[in-house]
Amino acid sequence: MSDQAKLERRYRRLLAWYPALFRREHGEELIAVVMACSPDGQSRPGLAASADLIRSGLWMRLRPSVPRSAPTVAAAVRLMYAGAAVTTIGLIIAILSVVFVGGRAGSLRLLGHSQPLPVVIAVGIMVGLVLIGLWLWMARANSQGRNWARILSTVLFGLATLHLSGWTGVAQVVFAVVTWLLGLAVVWLLWRPTSTAFFKPPGLTQAGHSAEASPRSD
Amino acid sequence: MQEATFMILTALSSGSQHGYGIITDVEEISDGRVQLRPGTLYAALDRLRADELIEVEREETVDGRLRRYYRLTTAGTKRLSAEATRLQAHATAALTRLKLAGGTAT
Repeated sequence: MSDQAKLERRYRRLLAWYPALFRREHGEELIAVVMACSPDGQSRPGLAASADLIRSGLWMRLRPSVPRSAPTVAAAVRLMYAGAAVTTIGLIIAILSVVFVGGRAGSLRLLGHSQPLPVVIAVGIMVGLVLIGLWLWMARANSQGRNWARILSTVLFGLATLHLSGWTGVAQVVFAVVTWLLGLAVVWLLWRPTSTAFFKPPGLTQAGHSAEASPRSD
Repeated sequence: MQEATFMILTALSSGSQHGYGIITDVEEISDGRVQLRPGTLYAALDRLRADELIEVEREETVDGRLRRYYRLTTAGTKRLSAEATRLQAHATAALTRLKLAGGTAT
């Protein structure tokens, strides 16, 4: 197999990072450009070229694809990704503090019982991953205009509000308040009129839109 | 508007171009300062198409490889024009103030 063919095969593997729809529509075109940008005699993708494809592919999978007509939804989706990021940082800090603080004692109290450190860490990681997953799931579903996601996001925010008083310790309270404020902003944005127009089923949107738009001159 | 987006729209302002053409043109326009990578370019092109600032003009196959040519839409031309005017106003303001302050702006 020639260097060119090897290089192309390796680049094609990197395209797996992209959404399937994008690969179908632009995969061949992107491979052509990537190959044109590669120097002759190269048989492996460079580190920078690989990083560029992986980063762009991931970004295309994760970024909100909300139309410009619904800026409030786009802002809410960005805040939900911020929520996932803050929760990730919170999880890392929590694990580090459990390791450093609990490491001396060898066990920590969890749900009213003294538990060995690995159990506390495993439970913490699971809870953290579920919370991060919820932020990402809600971001994705809301960006796709699913009205159930808007309702579920609001319910989850309600549950977070009920749970606010359960936090103790400065770091926990700061984390809880920051994520709660993010949630508050998300819920507020999701129920703005421009968001509501975006979440309506296509048939209703058109009927509602023409009825609302007709008296306006713009 | 991000610099890469501005440069891509600028590259397309004088006529349609394919992906590799945009990369080489942006490099030329910016005196080699902006070097777009293919992944970054296609993420930007995808967003610009979704925002209806650019569109596909035609496709062709060269040496067995697919080439797609992109061009500015009317909205894209307006957006680039507005952004260029805004940047020019800022640059003019900066140069004027530097002169007033006895700087080296020439």
